[in-house]
Amino acid sequence: MPSITDPYWKSLGELATVNPAPTDEFPPSADTQTVDPLSRRNFFRLMGASMALAGVAGPGCQRYEREEIVPLSRRPEDQVPGTTLQYASTFELAGVAHPVLVGSYEGRPIKIDGNPFHPFTGDGADAKVTDHRHGGSTAFVQASVLNLYDQDRSRGLSNRGKGADFNEFKAWLATNRLAMQKDPSKVRVLSEALSSPTLAQLRRKFLTDFPGAKWAEWEPISFDNERAGLKLAFGKSARAFAHLDRAETIVVLDGDIFVEHPAAMRYSRDWKASRGPEASSLGDGKMNRLWSVESSWSSTGAMADHRLALRAELVLPFAQALDAKLSSGGAPSAEFLNEAKVAKFLTVLVEELGQNRGKAVVIAGRRQPPVVHALVARINEALGAPVDYYDDGDDRLTHKEAIVELANDIKAKAVSHLFVLGGNPAYDAPNDLDLASAIASVENSVHLSEWDDETSEKTTWHVPRANYLESWGDARTWDGTWTIAQPLILPLYGGISALELMALVMGDEMTSEKLVRGAVEGSGATWRKAVHDGFVASTAFPTLGAKVGQLPVVTLTASQQAGSRGTSAKPVPLEVVFQYSSNTWDGRFANNAWLQETPDFFTKVCWDNYAIVAPATATEYGLETDSLITVELEGRKLELACYVMPGQAIGTIGLVLGGGRVKAGSKGGDGKTPVGFDTYKLRTSAALDLASGAKVTAGSSYQLSGTQEHWDIRGGLDKDIGDKGIAERLPRLVKEVDQTEYRDGTEGRAWDANEESEFWTDPDRGTSLFQEHTYEGHKWGMAIDLGSCTSCNACMVACQSENNIPVVGKAEVVRNREMHWIRIDRYFKGSPDDPQIVNQPVGCQQCENAPCEQVCPVGATLHSSEGLNDMVYNRCVGTRYCLNNCPYRVRRFNFLDWNAEFKEARNRVRKLVMNPEVTVRMRGVMEKCTYCVQRIQNKKIKAKNEKRSVQDGEITTACQDACPTQAIVFGDLNDPKAWVTKFHKDRRAYSLLGELNTKPRTQYLARVRNPNPKLA
Amino acid sequence: MSRFIFPQWTETLKKWVSLLALGAPVYLVTLVWSCTQNAATLRTGYQPDQPVPYSHALHAGELGLDCRYCHSTVDRAAKAAIPPAQTCMNCHATVWKESEKLLPVRQAYFENAPLKWVRVHDLPDYVYFNHSAHVTRGVGCESCHGRIDQMVQVYQHAPLTMEWCLGCHRNPEPNLRDPEKVTAMGYEPAPGEGARIREQNKINPPTDCSTCHR
Repeated sequence: MPSITDPYWKSLGELATVNPAPTDEFPPSADTQTVDPLSRRNFFRLMGASMALAGVAGPGCQRYEREEIVPLSRRPEDQVPGTTLQYASTFELAGVAHPVLVGSYEGRPIKIDGNPFHPFTGDGADAKVTDHRHGGSTAFVQASVLNLYDQDRSRGLSNRGKGADFNEFKAWLATNRLAMQKDPSKVRVLSEALSSPTLAQLRRKFLTDFPGAKWAEWEPISFDNERAGLKLAFGKSARAFAHLDRAETIVVLDGDIFVEHPAAMRYSRDWKASRGPEASSLGDGKMNRLWSVESSWSSTGAMADHRLALRAELVLPFAQALDAKLSSGGAPSAEFLNEAKVAKFLTVLVEELGQNRGKAVVIAGRRQPPVVHALVARINEALGAPVDYYDDGDDRLTHKEAIVELANDIKAKAVSHLFVLGGNPAYDAPNDLDLASAIASVENSVHLSEWDDETSEKTTWHVPRANYLESWGDARTWDGTWTIAQPLILPLYGGISALELMALVMGDEMTSEKLVRGAVEGSGATWRKAVHDGFVASTAFPTLGAKVGQLPVVTLTASQQAGSRGTSAKPVPLEVVFQYSSNTWDGRFANNAWLQETPDFFTKVCWDNYAIVAPATATEYGLETDSLITVELEGRKLELACYVMPGQAIGTIGLVLGGGRVKAGSKGGDGKTPVGFDTYKLRTSAALDLASGAKVTAGSSYQLSGTQEHWDIRGGLDKDIGDKGIAERLPRLVKEVDQTEYRDGTEGRAWDANEESEFWTDPDRGTSLFQEHTYEGHKWGMAIDLGSCTSCNACMVACQSENNIPVVGKAEVVRNREMHWIRIDRYFKGSPDDPQIVNQPVGCQQCENAPCEQVCPVGATLHSSEGLNDMVYNRCVGTRYCLNNCPYRVRRFNFLDWNAEFKEARNRVRKLVMNPEVTVRMRGVMEKCTYCVQRIQNKKIKAKNEKRSVQDGEITTACQDACPTQAIVFGDLNDPKAWVTKFHKDRRAYSLLGELNTKPRTQYLARVRNPNPKLA
Repeated sequence: MSRFIFPQWTETLKKWVSLLALGAPVYLVTLVWSCTQNAATLRTGYQPDQPVPYSHALHAGELGLDCRYCHSTVDRAAKAAIPPAQTCMNCHATVWKESEKLLPVRQAYFENAPLKWVRVHDLPDYVYFNHSAHVTRGVGCESCHGRIDQMVQVYQHAPLTMEWCLGCHRNPEPNLRDPEKVTAMGYEPAPGEGARIREQNKINPPTDCSTCHR
């Protein structure tokens, strides 16, 4: 394990070079204009400009164009023009409800945040502002609002590729209903994972109306392995939910509890609660300990106190070994368990689990086969782990079984009518089933979808689906709480919901409002309250009290038994694991530019997907980052980009899903310009999640757009200080400490190890040439806890959504032109084979002695009386001096007019997502994080109007609202009781590059690691 | 070889060139002034025709309706809010209910065809002005909008330039009055009233960039 004082590095390239040269933030190509200087458009632009100039003296001297004010004819009671109102609703992803509050500005939804009142994912119905209530969300939730305004959404029905209208469709349905009733056993419905109780009611009715018909569910990234595993263990399907706030030891086997798990929102919150290190749900001063055994990096591995990189197929013997020691199973015979490192890891882990009975829990990831989940259930039972098993009362087939059955039925000509509700099975179903041609061969098929996509192309009918912000609906959170979705806007393109379509199929023309309302009122709940709150209280699933029964005996495969973990076996046995994409999830967000441009948590690559391999694997097979490789699996071949990731398990090829779409739209791949690679081509029903026996060969070069070396703080240091100078300053960017030292108060030893050099002891340090500011009113500040930031990217997308941050596209990202106001720096520490990862979100630090302010020649960035570095776009002339002088590299320059595309008629709808409270910036100006000054001003004015002072917790920044673990806190430093003041006074608090005497207003809280002393 | 002699017309050209060169600064100054300082180009006095010949002089002046009867959100939101047709119909359902001039209002109300008023007071898009912050603090409507009660057709009274805004933010007292009287027109504050209100309500108008620019 790396020691606390080891240096940090950002990439393998940097580690390989002895003297990492600081990079320029404007590479030589950065100034080139991307548009052809003599294109027709440019010609007209120039012509237009000269004509405008010619008109200056005459009629051009009028200031503004004529504008109109169009008030509502009848204003609803609670509508105040120009203000944002929040409504509770629900975003459903992969069959799991994400309770949200939707911010709506004069009738258009513009911002999505977690619902703080929700009993499962929030603070509960009584949450108060002054208690810093928060809902938390994910990057996907934050970005979901952009889907609503996607210019490539389907704008109408089509029948075999030709435009049609609803009446034709209804007529078609009416005729076909008779045929369906004649032979109901040939009717099929294929839906996404559904958690909607109303749709479940319709399903029951459908299966009664059409006896013998089948309803299949398919979700490419599904948690059904656990479902099947718990059925093995308990004889009944169930969902596991661990109470992490009561767990001292948390062991995660090849999974991710912070983003991927269906209960991730709650897990993040509960993990933070017991994490401490100060206030903790385990008792003050106590910290949980997180162990991760995983094949590919996840946020969980990055946050873990102990991480063991293991090929995914070896997790089964690892779980068996745990089971053998803690429960009743037999010991597996697997060679890798005898390796010194693994053996020690296992011994210490078993010992700790044994000591923490009742307070220890094991969680298995979705990739692991059912038997691992069953074993985990048995281990948890033996440990008396705080785990609840929810009984959702649904006895459906697993997604895999269902899709295979459907494909077989179609091939056997046993399907006459197929209704595909959402999803995109022609693209994401297992490749061996060839569902695309199977669907095309069904005589009558309907695809309900927001996009006219790969599946719609194969069906006879495409029906536009209403976005979740356009229709009534409902869904369940992982624990079963019934969560209600209300529409915020009428369907932009006349889509209908899945509920409405199924009602139509059965011959009822019903609105989804009527359907959902009927279901809610039918259960005895009050409709208005349910809609207002966004959920129906006390509707969680009952828990299962069953005991784990006899588990089947598993025989290990040859590669599991003989396979080594490290490089000792030659050649290294290769396996493939399929992992979700932080850019597109399973491909469904492919056309969402915000997500596509958000760099992945660990690879920091955007606008692409790739194969992730370990450095050792790369060396052995001659693979390189930024090159194409060919992965072969059981005769299927795919050429795709490669990314060499330190810390990846040796022999594991992580294939990121969700790229290579051909009918996603103009952003995510339209068949002309590919975005990423279609990794589904290697995914078969026999090996949905992991497959061994892969082969790999190296190929030509390819450019990935990675941001990992962009905006490098170290690049901002003066190059003249040389490598030694850089090295001296480096460890102080991120501070970490072991819990034992922190408890003893000796943490300074690790943090200030470098401060004994001449650089630090210079007596003139800290002398300022500038007059210091005084702050009499408010003094805004922020604190970011590195100990709880899981690098989930929610803050980045939240900031993009709140502050109208443009996307620039892959080509411009390569030129260092991405515009994110907050970035998440990722540093490695230790050896490339087994490094640790730390994350550090960096936005503008709002320095009191701001270097940017001192160099602006036109006064476009100035200090405010409350300590913000105000950025005045209308003054900025674009010298970029400020960025050159900013040691944190947080300023972003508009090299081009990134909003130009909105001028095109088809794209105009995208403008509706803009936040009217924030200026949309033009070409040639600098911009940066403002601490969400629009929120500060509006809340200040509101408080003053009400003749009171601003309360702590009332003003929140967008990143803070989005953070699922409340790692970001904002407030008034002049308020001694404010959270942020407490954090700033904490022992862990430090300023980033504080030695430059910039006096940053954002302070970081050092990360406290909690390793087991026996493994340290 | 004879020396080259400039033809006579170059003398005339010289005069013109000098005139142009000397006149350029004057021209430029005039140009800049006329585009940035001249009240006309800043649209003081801008008075567009509205879809309904609504007279503030009649309603606010003669009849003495309070500004807030129609602009009901002025003391709690950024926007003063142009009233919905519903508000007009409160009276005009019975008063002048047959009037030809009120036809657009009735259409708006009964057929949900909103009225399209022409904006008179227009700030640049990068300026964020909040009515409530001013009105609740005791800045009278009149201070920015002028004698609305005497305008048959509304026009822009003040220049609405940044310089003009800052003038008051730096020295607010002349424009402060008892917050109870914000909507009063032709109000003469008592001597020292501005200073008293400022003291009482702790009014300290910020002049930070981010006060108005976000």
